[in-house]
Amino acid sequence: MATASPTFPSAWSRRLSTGLRGLLTLKALILLVVVGVIAYLALVPLYYLLWGTFFGEDGFTLDGFARAYGDGRMGQLIFNSLAFSIGAAVISLVVGTGLAYLNVRTDVPFKGLFFAASMIPLIIPGILYTVSWILLASPDIGLINAAVEPIVGGSPLNVFSLWGMAWVEGLHLSPIVFLLMVAAFRSMDPALEESALMSGANKWTVFRKVTVPLARPAIVASVLIMVVRSLESFEVPALLGLQNGIYVFTSRIYFTLRTYPPDLNAAGALATGLLVLAALGVLLSNRLGKGRNFQTVSGKGFRPRRMELGRLRGVMGAGIILYFILTVLAPLAVLIYTSLLPFYRAPSMSVFGEMGLQNYRELLDMEQAGTALKNSLILGVGSATLVMLFMAIAGWLVVRSRVPGRQIVDQLSFLPLVIPGLVLGLSLAFVYLRSPIPIYGTLFILLIAYCTRYMPYGMRYAVTSMHQISSELEESAQACGAGWWQTFRRVLLPLLSPGLIAGWVYIMVVSFRELSSSILLYSPGNEVLSILIFEQYVNGQFTVLSALGVVMVLTLVVLVSIAYKVGAKVGLKQD
Amino acid sequence: MRIRPTYARLAAVVFAAVVASSACGTSPTSSSEEESQGPTKAEQVYAEIEELPASERHAELVKRANEEGALAVYTSMTSEVTDEVIGAFEDAYGDLDVSVYRADSETVLQRVLQEQQAQFYGNDVVESNATEMIALEQEGLMAPYRGAPRETVSDLAKFDTWTGVRFNLFSPSWNTKLVKPGEQPTSWEDLADPKWDGKLSMEIEDYDWYGTLHDYFVEQGMTEQEADQVFSEMADGAKIVKGHTVQGELLSAGQFHVVASNYSYITDTLERSGAPVGFEPMVEPVIARPNGLGLMKTAEHPAAAMLFADWLLTDGQKVMADLGLTPAVQSMDPFQGREVVPVDTDKLLKQGDEWSKQYEEVVQQGDEVESD
Repeated sequence: MATASPTFPSAWSRRLSTGLRGLLTLKALILLVVVGVIAYLALVPLYYLLWGTFFGEDGFTLDGFARAYGDGRMGQLIFNSLAFSIGAAVISLVVGTGLAYLNVRTDVPFKGLFFAASMIPLIIPGILYTVSWILLASPDIGLINAAVEPIVGGSPLNVFSLWGMAWVEGLHLSPIVFLLMVAAFRSMDPALEESALMSGANKWTVFRKVTVPLARPAIVASVLIMVVRSLESFEVPALLGLQNGIYVFTSRIYFTLRTYPPDLNAAGALATGLLVLAALGVLLSNRLGKGRNFQTVSGKGFRPRRMELGRLRGVMGAGIILYFILTVLAPLAVLIYTSLLPFYRAPSMSVFGEMGLQNYRELLDMEQAGTALKNSLILGVGSATLVMLFMAIAGWLVVRSRVPGRQIVDQLSFLPLVIPGLVLGLSLAFVYLRSPIPIYGTLFILLIAYCTRYMPYGMRYAVTSMHQISSELEESAQACGAGWWQTFRRVLLPLLSPGLIAGWVYIMVVSFRELSSSILLYSPGNEVLSILIFEQYVNGQFTVLSALGVVMVLTLVVLVSIAYKVGAKVGLKQD
Repeated sequence: MRIRPTYARLAAVVFAAVVASSACGTSPTSSSEEESQGPTKAEQVYAEIEELPASERHAELVKRANEEGALAVYTSMTSEVTDEVIGAFEDAYGDLDVSVYRADSETVLQRVLQEQQAQFYGNDVVESNATEMIALEQEGLMAPYRGAPRETVSDLAKFDTWTGVRFNLFSPSWNTKLVKPGEQPTSWEDLADPKWDGKLSMEIEDYDWYGTLHDYFVEQGMTEQEADQVFSEMADGAKIVKGHTVQGELLSAGQFHVVASNYSYITDTLERSGAPVGFEPMVEPVIARPNGLGLMKTAEHPAAAMLFADWLLTDGQKVMADLGLTPAVQSMDPFQGREVVPVDTDKLLKQGDEWSKQYEEVVQQGDEVESD
């Protein structure tokens, strides 16, 4: 007899199939792919690094740690590294946050300068930026010292000191903070500040008690990136620290990798130290990011309103001009000046007669310059776009979803920050030389390297922005019948766009400078600009190098302007 | 649900790749692998050519090289030098398609090692610094190279499986505006003079120079302690710099008066562009380190590789000399009568680490420079 009630097996299978279908929704698949890619990109070099750290010719070993940390000078090394990186982080945080706030939230004058001030230090290759600071602030030949000597007597500035190192690194890194903070301030509802003002708080108290706490996710992210980034920085410690014997972690890592056979045990042991620090940092930043509500972009309409600075306007304006001169104009002027000379010498009347465009002509004659520019553009735009797209989704997963283990994704995406570029290069070469897919020797392997290296930055930008967006916007979209992907695309992406564009710009700009893994992985015909820069450096042609630097600055300024123009169309409307 | 298979497949590929990368049989960081037995195809070609009488060698090489049609060079020559050298070679043998990978010497070494381990044969020829060539020789990756051109090379530059093509000369250099003629250092010991405190610069990685000069001092009758003393007095008050190029640039800008051990060609290049730097009369003995070339056992274009080696030791020597480099063939009188002490490559191999550590100790004394 036929009944309407389903038999057991069919009910079971129906439940299973709904369950499976739930598992295989578009959303689940997209998340799975994103997590898979992040895990893959992060774990390959990590595996290589850890293997190199703990396994030698005769199996498991901890000798690397003994060699790396057994030095009597270790205490000094750690002190220098921390003093340098915290100093640089503080400088970049104060400068970057201050400027971002003034730019977005106040009626400060000279806003046009911010754009250049936020980008140019980032574009100038580290080695050139550092050398221009030597030429500006060396006690022996520094132009600034020479200029102020008649007034103060003696050379007040010494770039070859821990202070000098932190200063140069801090200024060089301040654009990362600036970009992160601009995005945070743009997405901030001024209503809270206004209420505080109404209740009688003065502007400074409002800034301290309301604005800064609201921007905490972005501030925490900045500090984290800055400290790890400066712990890793190479040019500044190498050029400024060594002269007076100030050694840091990276100088150590660098030298242990430059010997033959490269002491991966010791380098890995040092990198593992950084890894632990960074992991603690991520944990701490997630702890700090929890417990309070930072969501300022909500269903309620708002328009970031500018604060009137009043009497302070002039003072701030002067500060901005000073900052602009110090971080952009002076180093850039030194670059342009050097690029016009046959060899560097201090300015004098006779020098101007020798100036010419010879170095630029030499650039034009350089066969690979065109190919390298094209390749760098492809890689820069490609890696920036891919990373930001993937990290936006990963950011959603980490901040918004309730998937168990989502913090692991956050940790994974942060891993590559502490893996030395050369180790990354070696690990990718190792994998793709053995891969059946012919990626080795193509531009694609560089793309993988760049995506890996810049994933941590992309993730910080994405997570920070995601923290600020209230989930009620998504919920309303979904209540209106939009699917997850549609909500993501039509609601979240546009709301996230200030942060995503900031991240995109950052990645594109710094990818032009990536050298440590590119140099191992490029092949003839796949040269990138950073390789050419390195070659001019090795050739001893600082003048041509400066010319190349100037061309890079111009190219990227144009590109970044376009990015902002396009970005302005999709993001939060500005006044 | 249409997209499901694609995504699933993608996920599967990613997963498989992760597994494959970790399941690879070999340790990713082990330095050498099993060598195959017997001569390779390339080695057979080298042997066949070497048996030919000198008169037929060149014609046969050109014929075979043209059949191969291409040449892949890995080198640590600077791009300036490479462009000239490879350009001249291409002018001479226009039918060959020459591809060049350029990087610093350590990276060239890493690249060759990585590729060889994976049995990926990217290059036919490698040209690099002595230190890296010794490492490659140890790994047994290069085939011996014999023939008339090699016989013209200075004995200081002949090794089992590689051959010197030029020398890097270490010598003190100075800023000619800050150091008046007659005041410049005339011996290595001069650099220890306290008058250079705060004015002398040393490079952080020149341990091959350090080891060689240190041993020379001892051979000349100094005790170990006396030799150490000279270096520690040099380093006392010295400004330590990473990179010879920056060092040259800062010397010309006046950041220091004297550089202990820059390569003469870097100073020479600066001097030619008009910078106020000089290195002549050269301090003797000149410390010389060969840079050399080796033929890969696994070359896919062995005849082209050999043709390049022959050319580099004949016509190529003139190209390099014109660029201010120090050639390796004796007929060109590379050292022009100067007393030369070559970097002992055997010692570099065996004691390189020790030298490097000792030198690190030395340069770390270069602290606390107070400029006034």
